[in-house]
Amino acid sequence: MSEKSHALPKAKIARSYLTWFIWLIPVAAVGLCVFFVVRDVIFKGPTITIYFQSADGLEQENSPIKYRGANIGQIHGMKLTPDKQFVAVTAKLDYTAREFARQGTEFWMVQPEVKVGSIKGLRTIVSGNYITLEPGHGPPTNEFVALAEAPVEPVKAVEFTLLMDDLGSLQKQTAIFYRGVQVGEVLDFRLSDDSKHVLVHARIREEYAPLLRVNSKFWNAGGINFHFGLLSGAEISAESAQTVVSGGIAFATPPDYGDAATNGAVFQLNDKEDDEWKKWNPAIPLHGVPEAQKEKSSLPQVNSK
Amino acid sequence: MDKVVACQTCGLVQGVDDVPEGCVAKCARCNFQIFHRRISSRSRTLAYSIAAAILYFPSNFYPLVTAFYQGQHTQTTIFQGIRSLWHDGQYFISGLVFCTSIFTPALKIIGLIFITLTLDWNGGKKARTWIYKIIRIIDPWNMLEVFLLAIGVGVIEMGQVATIHPGRGVFSFAAVVVLTLLATLSFDSRLLWDSPAERKHYQ
Ligand SMILES: [Zn+2]
Repeated sequence: MSEKSHALPKAKIARSYLTWFIWLIPVAAVGLCVFFVVRDVIFKGPTITIYFQSADGLEQENSPIKYRGANIGQIHGMKLTPDKQFVAVTAKLDYTAREFARQGTEFWMVQPEVKVGSIKGLRTIVSGNYITLEPGHGPPTNEFVALAEAPVEPVKAVEFTLLMDDLGSLQKQTAIFYRGVQVGEVLDFRLSDDSKHVLVHARIREEYAPLLRVNSKFWNAGGINFHFGLLSGAEISAESAQTVVSGGIAFATPPDYGDAATNGAVFQLNDKEDDEWKKWNPAIPLHGVPEAQKEKSSLPQVNSK
Repeated sequence: MDKVVACQTCGLVQGVDDVPEGCVAKCARCNFQIFHRRISSRSRTLAYSIAAAILYFPSNFYPLVTAFYQGQHTQTTIFQGIRSLWHDGQYFISGLVFCTSIFTPALKIIGLIFITLTLDWNGGKKARTWIYKIIRIIDPWNMLEVFLLAIGVGVIEMGQVATIHPGRGVFSFAAVVVLTLLATLSFDSRLLWDSPAERKHYQ
């Protein structure tokens, strides 16, 4: 020990934990990998198979499954079933959407649809077709048969049948109007058993059900009516702007209205409106729909059309 | 044994006693660490390299980016990206991306783990020094991929048409790049040529 070093300050000696801390980095790396694997294995959504009549417009490993506009899954592959009757589309649902893999869940494809009566899914022209669903509540399952088209929203309603000679421009979901207000829609149609009539299955929503009486009169309000008169000249009339495009059915109830129509009632659908029906103006009390329920059930239905 | 050392941070000349294992000397004035050689170079290099090796797998296995383009949802791993570049005829870029993002990180990690584990071997010191040299040469090329990605995300994020989200892979990939960089930096090549007694002291 020299004298010189005695005059110098002394460096402090302290324990170093760095060497041990450094090994926390590989440990953290392992932790991250474990986290990824756990996320993939435990938080793994179900893989489901949906059978489509035609998967035209869906893209392998690309088309999403959406619910209320949010992506909840993605298509992985598609192949023809052995009997060549269906296309089996396999898709992976997100973990958050695992509850949708239940019996009763209905899947269908959303594609651009521009036909008389409705313009739907325009976004899909740009974004490509996608699959959407209506959740069911049955026991879990992984196999589904897709619907050919979007199902009609189930609502409490009075369902009845309209008899007509020719379907004309009517389609599923054609609106039914009362004084220009949409109160119901066509659900389905078919030829009668003797093929002499068209049977149109339709419904009036519950809150408007009292308007429909056994002696109510229905007429076809679709399209534009031309009336040519010597004195009045040409007269063009239409029920509403919507019916010009989409067709429609209107009805009126006479002032001496009968009993309220019940499920399964049958009405004749007339080609034209009778002038007398226009004058009918009965006061019919509607069901008192609670305000909250109105907001929940009736407004969204209007929006979704 | 007492030594006289100048602090690298503040320049104070001071006496340093023998530093026992698991301890460090700290400057009497500025309290910064005083070291003659990089501290625990061997275990640091090894720890960083092993962490990089672990994260190398998720960085290649998981999608680097998740892109939403016109409503379509695509996930791309590094390898898929290289393959599609190759199919598009971009052989040079494809090769470059392969080298910088798959080949060189693997080379670096394997090389570093190899030389840190074989420090005690007697033979082949020159060969192992060469391995270290090569690692230092390829080092800057590793950063290229991250720059490419940053530019790509910046460009595409501009429009509403496409959105790109970083996937799991990109975080692992960035971690691999940083960890391999730290591993190379913390390796002291003098360890290769130290005598066993010196190495025991410095590693
Ligand atoms: Zn100092």
